[in-house]
Amino acid sequence: MESHILPPGSTVKRWLLTTNHKDVGILYLVTSLYFLVVGGALALLFRLQLAGPNLNVLSPSAFNQAVTVHGLIMVLFVISPLAFALANYIVPLQIGARDLAFPRLNALSYWLYLFGGVLVVISFFQQRTLDVGWTLYQPLSSAFSPYVGVNTGGLGLALLVASVTVSTVNFVVTIFRSRAKGLRLTALPMFTMCILLTVLMMLYAFPALLAGIIILASDRILGTVYFSSPEGGAILWDHIFWFFGHPEVYIVLFPALGVIADVLVTFSRRPLFARRIIIAAMVIVAGLSFLVWGHHMFLTGMHPDVRRAFTVTTIAISLPFDAIILSFIYTLVKSRIELKTPMLFALGSIAIFIIGGITGVFLGSIALDYVLRGTYFVVAHFHYTMAGGGLVGLVAGVYYWYPKMTGKMFNEKLGRLQFILTIIGFNMLYFPLFLSWEMPRRVPIYPENLIPLQQVATVGGFILGASFLVMFWNLLYSLKYGQPAGDNPWGAYTLEWMTKSPPPPHNFDGTPAFINGQLSFIAANGAAHGEPETHLSVWPFMLSLASFLSLLGLTTNLLFTLVGLGLLAFSVLGLAGERFISREEKIGERWPFESVDRMKLAWWTFIASEVMLFGVVLSAYVYVRTTSATWPAPGTFFDIAHGAVNTFILLTSSLTVVLALASARIGSRAGTAGFLAATLALGVAFLFNKYNEWSELFGHGITFSTNLPASTFFLTTGIHGAHVFAGLLAITYLLSRALRGAYAREGHETLEYFGYYWHFVDIVWVFIFPLFYLV
Amino acid sequence: MHKLIGMVATTVDIFNNLWSVFSTLGVIVGIVVISYMVYLIVRNRARGGAPEPEDSPKPGELPRERKGAKKLLLSVFLSASIVISLILLTFIALDNLDRPPADAMEVKVVAFQWGWKFYYPNGYEAVGELRIPRGTAVKFYVTSQDVFHNMGIIDLRFKIDAIPGKTNIGWTRVYQAGVYEIRCFELCGDGHGVMIGRLIAMEPEEFNSWYSSLQAS
Repeated sequence: MESHILPPGSTVKRWLLTTNHKDVGILYLVTSLYFLVVGGALALLFRLQLAGPNLNVLSPSAFNQAVTVHGLIMVLFVISPLAFALANYIVPLQIGARDLAFPRLNALSYWLYLFGGVLVVISFFQQRTLDVGWTLYQPLSSAFSPYVGVNTGGLGLALLVASVTVSTVNFVVTIFRSRAKGLRLTALPMFTMCILLTVLMMLYAFPALLAGIIILASDRILGTVYFSSPEGGAILWDHIFWFFGHPEVYIVLFPALGVIADVLVTFSRRPLFARRIIIAAMVIVAGLSFLVWGHHMFLTGMHPDVRRAFTVTTIAISLPFDAIILSFIYTLVKSRIELKTPMLFALGSIAIFIIGGITGVFLGSIALDYVLRGTYFVVAHFHYTMAGGGLVGLVAGVYYWYPKMTGKMFNEKLGRLQFILTIIGFNMLYFPLFLSWEMPRRVPIYPENLIPLQQVATVGGFILGASFLVMFWNLLYSLKYGQPAGDNPWGAYTLEWMTKSPPPPHNFDGTPAFINGQLSFIAANGAAHGEPETHLSVWPFMLSLASFLSLLGLTTNLLFTLVGLGLLAFSVLGLAGERFISREEKIGERWPFESVDRMKLAWWTFIASEVMLFGVVLSAYVYVRTTSATWPAPGTFFDIAHGAVNTFILLTSSLTVVLALASARIGSRAGTAGFLAATLALGVAFLFNKYNEWSELFGHGITFSTNLPASTFFLTTGIHGAHVFAGLLAITYLLSRALRGAYAREGHETLEYFGYYWHFVDIVWVFIFPLFYLV
Repeated sequence: MHKLIGMVATTVDIFNNLWSVFSTLGVIVGIVVISYMVYLIVRNRARGGAPEPEDSPKPGELPRERKGAKKLLLSVFLSASIVISLILLTFIALDNLDRPPADAMEVKVVAFQWGWKFYYPNGYEAVGELRIPRGTAVKFYVTSQDVFHNMGIIDLRFKIDAIPGKTNIGWTRVYQAGVYEIRCFELCGDGHGVMIGRLIAMEPEEFNSWYSSLQAS
């Protein structure tokens, strides 16, 4: 059966074209482990530099590049993608789905991630890559960093954000819409629960990073002055970056907590202690994570009351974590613990995370943070949380699900060996860094009294590195020589173990459902009838390649960009026109979105992330506007007439979209096409008017870099204009199909979904118009 | 020790007091929690023939609920009381840090890639080296002329961000004559590691004669 659906695993075609969630999960796993080697090698390079107080292993610039790219790669290209490797493979199995809601988008997420990473790697070969710290502080990474490699690396991050956005939408829709009948939201296995909370945090955090990267790229490439002007500058970036950055800490941590919770139950043979309270605590953490970013800015001179508020929220967030970790520990009471490799890593991760959590309370206290900021204490703390809590926890997951993914059992002895090496190496590496708390971080030289601590850390680093080599060997060796694992080698209770190892392409024979709390399989599998589902598409790869080329050209040769944009248009049309079959199960648990179909939910989720994007861009404008002492009076700098005309045009176009949909609903082919054409004309008129306005400004010598009013105006209306332009491309496509009679007969939902986007773009303008022209 | 001889608190005292509370509690909590966990693991480790717990989850079930809210809430209540007292202690320390002594000497600091410029009240400008009289508080007005830096004098437990376009205020006080290292604690480019200045605390008389000689010249 399998051979009919997917080409064999030994072929290139299979891995380039696959959209199956398990294949994509494997791709994510291999790629994230590859980047782990890259990030780890960089770390070992600067650990070598730090093996002595005054060595010359790396030049100061090379040292800065190594620490910067190490941080970015580990946080964004290793820990999160490793979590999503597991999520890709396991979440659909845990909820009883055949695949993610949008298989092609899932493949797209992967390829965008890979090509984003490739861009970062390419930047190494452009003389200098990012060397400004993973926090990209301003204005160091804008006006004071002329290197082209920084641009390329930054654009790599932009591709990663695109990947994350796509996969966020996919997982939100999947977990809400594809659960097996009877699997209530509160009964989700903890791993899936944590992934859900993770993607909800991603949904609101990553658009802030995207907005930051767009503004930064605009400063660097177009010459806007957001970060080089004192009114915006360093503090504006701090707010944007840490609004993303602190939730990001929990984004890399939560999936590991989910792994640990599932592993604890399986290997202690007892239910999770106070499971509902854990979930409640996680929801609180996820919400509160957006209210603590200021603790990264305690020393920037923020208002004393604001500092106090951030101290309270920051220390308060340790309480739900208390509840989570203590519940994990109480789970072990009166249990029957089997110390297999996954359990060892889960327990080790908890112990390490406890140390990270306690030291986090230190840093939440402003008075201590005053002294600890920028030192090795901070470095030690976040490695104990993100590397210890996050990465080590995920390693537990890799071992836990390895038998499910491969059908083979890994070598337990090698697993234990890795555990011992990991725990020893980890603590040798990071604990001395707590004790080096008087030393500034990101510094290649240090006083002689720190030699013993730093040397122990370097040795620990190499032991930790070696521990991962043992893991790679174990995973590869067992793939070939491992014992057959069976369906449920751990005697676990969750749904992913109730099928073969590895599972068939459709995951389960029959449709899983929980009836009266007990699993059963409904024989009449909806998928078995009708046309078989599709599992292959070339377009996710092509789209990602096209995006990659377009961005690569910006920092190398614009020819790449031209080719890339052409390929992009071709791939979008290819994707839209492809006949790709992926059905939703007829029955399932979908609260609270029973009546919102998956496309609609996807659009709403996507628009929610767009709201955050524009929210941050507009907030940046309001911020520089309010901190700026001088600002031109309304009507003196920008022509109100242009703005008013465009407001009128866009609002009218919202009406025509509604009328196009109404026409489609009553089956009027001419009405549908006519009103779509009217919308297209209005959109073109909007952009034409915009073009005139910009030309006039340029004619008066006002450009991107003239001043903040000009910079904010051009960038904000530019981003909005790009959204209008994207909308017009979509309308052109819709119109070409409507002229051939589409939508009027069936499929008018497509117009409805497009309408959401178009109305959203119009609403954004309704904010832009008064903010820029009238006040 | 300064307190014993009736002197005013310094940034070092404020930090050290708070640090000792946090680190003592931190170490105790860490040891207790991790030991308890290890104890549970050792005690409950499966030995041959140990019976399966009665409520062990069975394949294909929905998650079972296991009671324990009371025990958990009690534990969290305990942590909450620790945490709240830590917040209060922090606020008290912060009040002291936020209130520079009235007798402070005022110095303007401009950070640059990669060094420090100091401007004395009389307008004298020095690069890389700041002389102050010991015992007198110094109030810093810190800014940067290029990128984001952070001025830290770790031996004095003093640190403040130096941000272009913005002036931040901080203070410290030194009782012990000597040389203290001023370092940058925010990555600021290739020279970040060697962006080192010196704070020289002098005997008041020495300082005065040096300082007045500047005015004379």
